[in-house]
Amino acid sequence: MTITLTVNREERIFSGDPRTPLVDVLRDHLRMTGTKAVCREGFCGACMVHVDGAPMASCLLPVGSLDGAAVTTIEGVATLEHLNAVQQAFEDHDVVQCGMCFPGMVMTMSRLFQTNTSPDRDEIKAAMTGNICRCTGYERIVDALMSIRTNEVTS
Amino acid sequence: MQNNADAAVMNFPRRDARDKLLGRTKYTIDVGGSEVIHAVLLRAEVASAQVLRLDVEAARSMPGVRAIATWEDAPGAHGIGIADHPIFARDVIRYHGEPIAAIAAETLEQAHAAAQAITLELAPLPAVLTMAQALEKDAPLVHPDWKDYDILFEGAARGGNVAWEATVARGDTDAAFDRPDVTIVDGVYRVGRQSHVPFEPRAVVAAFEDGRHHIQTSTQVPWTVRHVTARVLDIPESQVRVTVPAVGGGFGLKFDCSLEPYAAILAKKSGRVVSLVNSRREEKMTCLCRENAEIRIRSAVTADGEIVGREATVLMDCGAYGGEQVFLTTMTAHTLGGNYRLGSVRLSSRAIYTNTPPNGAFRACNGVYNTFALERHTDEICEAIGMDRMEFRRRNVVGDQDIGATGQVFEGDVLRPMIDRMQALCAKHPNGRENGQRLDDGRIYGRAMTVGTWFIFVGPSAATVNLNVDGSATLVTSGVEIGSGSMMHALPQIVAAGLGIAPEQVIVKTADTDAAGRDLGVGGGRTTVSIGAASAAACDEVRDKLLAVASEMLQTAPEQLVLTDGRVEIRGRSGSGTTIQKVVAEAETRTGPISGSGAFTAPGIEAMPGCAAGHFIDAIDIPVFAVHDCELAIDPDTGQVEILAYRVVQDVGRALNHRAIHGQIQGGVVQGMGYALHEEITINDQGCFDQTGFEAYRLPLAQDVVPIEFDLFEGAPSCGPLGTKGAGEVPILNVGATIGCAIANATGKQVSQLPLTPPRVLALLDGRDEPLALNHISAIWSDNTLRR
Repeated sequence: MTITLTVNREERIFSGDPRTPLVDVLRDHLRMTGTKAVCREGFCGACMVHVDGAPMASCLLPVGSLDGAAVTTIEGVATLEHLNAVQQAFEDHDVVQCGMCFPGMVMTMSRLFQTNTSPDRDEIKAAMTGNICRCTGYERIVDALMSIRTNEVTS
Repeated sequence: MQNNADAAVMNFPRRDARDKLLGRTKYTIDVGGSEVIHAVLLRAEVASAQVLRLDVEAARSMPGVRAIATWEDAPGAHGIGIADHPIFARDVIRYHGEPIAAIAAETLEQAHAAAQAITLELAPLPAVLTMAQALEKDAPLVHPDWKDYDILFEGAARGGNVAWEATVARGDTDAAFDRPDVTIVDGVYRVGRQSHVPFEPRAVVAAFEDGRHHIQTSTQVPWTVRHVTARVLDIPESQVRVTVPAVGGGFGLKFDCSLEPYAAILAKKSGRVVSLVNSRREEKMTCLCRENAEIRIRSAVTADGEIVGREATVLMDCGAYGGEQVFLTTMTAHTLGGNYRLGSVRLSSRAIYTNTPPNGAFRACNGVYNTFALERHTDEICEAIGMDRMEFRRRNVVGDQDIGATGQVFEGDVLRPMIDRMQALCAKHPNGRENGQRLDDGRIYGRAMTVGTWFIFVGPSAATVNLNVDGSATLVTSGVEIGSGSMMHALPQIVAAGLGIAPEQVIVKTADTDAAGRDLGVGGGRTTVSIGAASAAACDEVRDKLLAVASEMLQTAPEQLVLTDGRVEIRGRSGSGTTIQKVVAEAETRTGPISGSGAFTAPGIEAMPGCAAGHFIDAIDIPVFAVHDCELAIDPDTGQVEILAYRVVQDVGRALNHRAIHGQIQGGVVQGMGYALHEEITINDQGCFDQTGFEAYRLPLAQDVVPIEFDLFEGAPSCGPLGTKGAGEVPILNVGATIGCAIANATGKQVSQLPLTPPRVLALLDGRDEPLALNHISAIWSDNTLRR
């Protein structure tokens, strides 16, 4: 089966088993390894991408359901020279540790700030519940996000 | 040195953050492409069995298969203390998940299909799944041939299912317990396993290049991987090169060699680059967990709170092979035997074989549960003699010139002033609440403060610093960046301060065993201390060489020269000197490029002779202390515990990067909260874990946590560079203890076990919780030793 989808504004064609999870298409077929497959159960959030603008766990999405969809991955939200506001806050506050959860964390939190430019601490934590981090204990990530509440996120 | 130390203190940001935030960082799991083939392991699905037949011939001809390996390819056994661990099961399967064969094929699917085509015939053997079963009189032996194994470290008692026994005996405990003026307090405690769940599972990519193995792996211990791989393949260690990309979390799990030898064998047999990555299910089910443990402590205490005698037995489940637990038997002397002055003490610390997956190292290993047991026991003593819990601690914590369990002499008063600092921190938030009080929402309030003793695992490290012609420096060590940031913060800060350059000018090379000298690995809080000290020593040599040349150039004695801002200056005369670049250029014309090497190892603090038997170390070189305070609320309807506030006073020696230490404290305490409250591994009657993924193993989430308030205690003695101590490991140390004690205080009930899951807390509240009985640990201490 052949599926046509847009990944980071570029048209891509996938030929193969339509049940293949999107995360495997990204990592194995397109060799875009920024999206991380950690739990493969939809619990950890490390594989979050945007599908037609909405954050979704790419381990739970069969690629066959994405014909014609527009997918944005962590590789598509910013450039090496210009981070988006969420990434910039994480860098400025030096909150990254092992880094495995951060691609998903960036995808989820970037979307939060698109929908709510001034979330409070509880709203940030509620939005973060689907993104597990084993290293940081979260609060410093939340501190970083609190610093950009009134800024616009460009992604 | 004072100047150096001040110059090293800064909030230098980590340089790997940007690539990690952009998804550009390549971890071992991200290495791939068409040239890489994929491997899987055929693993046992029973806990104990005889192998009657293993036939891989049909699998060899399956589509895409490039190589298959079995026990015939790996003749050697490895281990810590005892070489008890072959990497493939041969005649006997000892745990559910044990590797039997390794298969490499063009695709992962083909490798899995070939694994299914392997013929394996088994005859079941009896299994011992608990330590109580393993210690029964006629228990089946997990290793019937235990007497024949190579001993790698002499001095321990071993026997039957006791893989290793370390004992401490100082003073006359019999006399202490016989005293007429003492109260005897006897407590038993039990904890389950904790799974690390690094987001990058154990993973390796191996190639066979120019007649040698090249192993790229997600590890904390490149030199252990080199050694163990060579040992089990029975080849010279020089034929193994280990390099380490960014590591996606370790927490101690990657402090052992694990998948690397399989990939190495397959790479050589196939002639291809082989990737072997644990699936999440494999990663969970064969996790080298923080071990489950069972503990009995008896203390003889006078009415004014003096501990005149203490006897304890700690059973540590090592699973089917000894592994890290063999070493960790040593630590009981310093964790359970720590914190308090003891008039006399006897400890038995035993690693017990069971037919369960092997355990390993996990952040503050051994310390976390022994601190739980010790601090619960301490509160039980206070209850028994009617003394205030903090008053008891204040009277008894070790201070300057006090002796530890093995007779080592401690330097400096550290714990007592840390208790004062904690009380000052708590006094900033008075709330008038009492233990057991009902809050407005009906929940029960609880609070506790505990103390803990941990240590920095020092040992050999090597460093080379090359001073480049552009004035930058390249630091070459065997350190790896596992996420904690030591390679990103402390090391460049130390080198920058040592050479008077900016930390941005320090290039930090990650581990390559072909490039850097031997190192014990990244763990045990040792990176900043051991690699940092070796790096500082390398800088000293560079500085001496640099100043010798500059001295002639500037016609000034070397001792009148200082390195600052990338320049060599005459002391007190800013701008009088020259740039480092010019000195390096001059040096190249005279003697060649400037580099320095440095080394560090354990200074070897002495213990009292004859106190400790079977210990890998008799004293701790760098003790580290912690004081924790927790406030929590218990929902009496659900048993759910919410942490309301959590405070830490941590002994850090000198804080080089406050922001980085904050990250370690926040992250470490939260891992401890998971351990205390909801991270639970259960082992079923098949000898396998019930928790195979994220759904069943409940990790802390953003809404479970609170900001940890902390105060860094600086200035305690340390042989670490610039007075540092490792700060990343200790934050988890007394979280289980503090939460356990707070729940006991809130409920007035006996808290003897972790984790305190909602059902367990409800059972406590409702009085349905049966008192813990550990009948396999005798009240007569000597019955719990092989040396009796």
